[in-house]
Amino acid sequence: MELTSSLGLIAPEILLSVAGLFLLLVAAWAGDRASSAISIAACVVLGAAFFLVAPSVCAGAAGLETVAFGGQFRADAFAGFAKLMIYAAAGAALVVAPAFFTRYAAMRAEYPVLVLFGTLGMSIMVSATDLLTLYIGLEMQSLAAYVLAAFLRPDQRSAEAGLKYFVLGALASGILLFGASLLYGFTGTTQFELMRVAMAGPISTGTLFGIVFVLAGLAFKISAVPFHMWTPDVYEGAPTPVTQFFATAPKVAAIALTARVALDAFGTHADAWRQVVIFAALASIVVGALGAIGQTNIKRLLAYSSINNVGFILIGLAAATPQGASAMLVYLVIYVAMSVGSFVAVLMLRDEDGAPVERLADLAGLSRTKPALAFCLAAMMFSLAGIPPLFGFWGKFVVFQAAVQADLVALAAIGIAASVIGAFYYIKVVKVMYFDEAVNVVRDRSDWAHWALLIISTALMSPLGYLLTGPLSVLADRAAASLFFLV
Amino acid sequence: MVATEYLLGYLPILIFLGVALALSALFVFLPIGVSRITGSHRPDTAKLSEYESGFPAFESPRSQFDVRFYLVAILFIIFDLEAAFLFPWAVSLEFTGWPGWITMMVFLAELAIGFAYAWKKGALEWE
Repeated sequence: MELTSSLGLIAPEILLSVAGLFLLLVAAWAGDRASSAISIAACVVLGAAFFLVAPSVCAGAAGLETVAFGGQFRADAFAGFAKLMIYAAAGAALVVAPAFFTRYAAMRAEYPVLVLFGTLGMSIMVSATDLLTLYIGLEMQSLAAYVLAAFLRPDQRSAEAGLKYFVLGALASGILLFGASLLYGFTGTTQFELMRVAMAGPISTGTLFGIVFVLAGLAFKISAVPFHMWTPDVYEGAPTPVTQFFATAPKVAAIALTARVALDAFGTHADAWRQVVIFAALASIVVGALGAIGQTNIKRLLAYSSINNVGFILIGLAAATPQGASAMLVYLVIYVAMSVGSFVAVLMLRDEDGAPVERLADLAGLSRTKPALAFCLAAMMFSLAGIPPLFGFWGKFVVFQAAVQADLVALAAIGIAASVIGAFYYIKVVKVMYFDEAVNVVRDRSDWAHWALLIISTALMSPLGYLLTGPLSVLADRAAASLFFLV
Repeated sequence: MVATEYLLGYLPILIFLGVALALSALFVFLPIGVSRITGSHRPDTAKLSEYESGFPAFESPRSQFDVRFYLVAILFIIFDLEAAFLFPWAVSLEFTGWPGWITMMVFLAELAIGFAYAWKKGALEWE
């Protein structure tokens, strides 16, 4: 029976929603005392969802048996690959949160519940093959994210971040919906498969406007230039564990969603959207690199860095080939590991009172006072800059390779040139830590969970990471192939 | 003709840039406009005084009101929409059958959980 198989395909989502609702009730009745227990339970649930999804990724699930609910949802290897990253990133955001919020006496039981609901939304986003499923997933993720951004209620910057994110996010959703309504009007369907068929042949101006508006709405969600203005403010204002969450999981979800929309629904008109994606890619790389140079706040710097990275990922999308999609996924894995590592390192920067240190100048001479932390952060920065032999280089390499093989040599060349600008500010952080006069601001010790996350991500970014290239590219290739498997 | 077709190939990027420009301008100038209205702008008393059908106003229109009105309004909207969703479900139940019925029960159960949460958190109490 179709309903039964559909329900089987959405098992991870059912698990997340039931667990989220149950933990919400626990949060209401047990109160904030239970917040650490709820966090642990949420981690367990994410782990269970991870293992529910893993088999389909390993098997490279594709085709008709992955289609659920009459083509509204697809649990193929591509969605699975993105889900694995999302669940892992959400788990990391749960692990680092208690230590941060406890200092402000702001650890509430709702934090893990909101992260679970946000993760559920992202899970739906990456599997969406219908404009309505897409929108439901996107809004579910966004509504949780708006609340999370403003989670540190006494902090004015956090409240501002939440409000700014909400207003601009609502506007972006409006743009996306307008585009979706145009697409529905001109193709007569909301399903990606049918839309691609309906679009075959010469493209009408209305459809074109629909494509552009949908891409503009999605560009906001992945914070690609020219829709990036909210990113530095929100990343700076939001509590750091939440910023870490924003920089990883929702970004993976939005990029995977953009890839599916572009390659599946708009697949027959790659020429139409390719220019838009190329423009957004190059603009993101350049603005991300130039914007970061003048920053004195580490979180703002990392926000520009994430804009910059989105540009490189979009180069993989611009190729519009299975190889490009696979390169995107490989880059995303490396990007998530780098982001988690850098934000955990930022979380570990605290002065003697335990207050977070966010100014770049306060990092001066960190290599003398905290050599291990400085070393890990330096490894992250070199990796983000894409300097071999660190693993960050591999991500850039596969993306540029895909672009060159899709005859986008000029794009790849400009991208490589612009990544040199980016290297400047990453290396500046290293210079401040290793060669400046020590100010000895960072004093506080961190717990084992932070160290564990930091060491895992540093190990991934070290040349040891290259041991993973084999299995990683096999899985990414299978996932990309499932995206191009036309039902 | 050939030149036109050639240029038409670049229409998507033109539209994208137009949309981007318009929205960027909106993002930049809307906050400036709002801050002029609310912040640094310094209007005089004559401009500020209320005008109400020729009479002096009875009280300031900018008096604060309780934020709890907002909370109640939000809760009302949520449960109002839920009730509105029941109508199309009810008239199409013969087509959706048991799966439709179960789905709606799941939906209502989720709303009940949300309601229980709001109740327990004291969102429904005025004092």
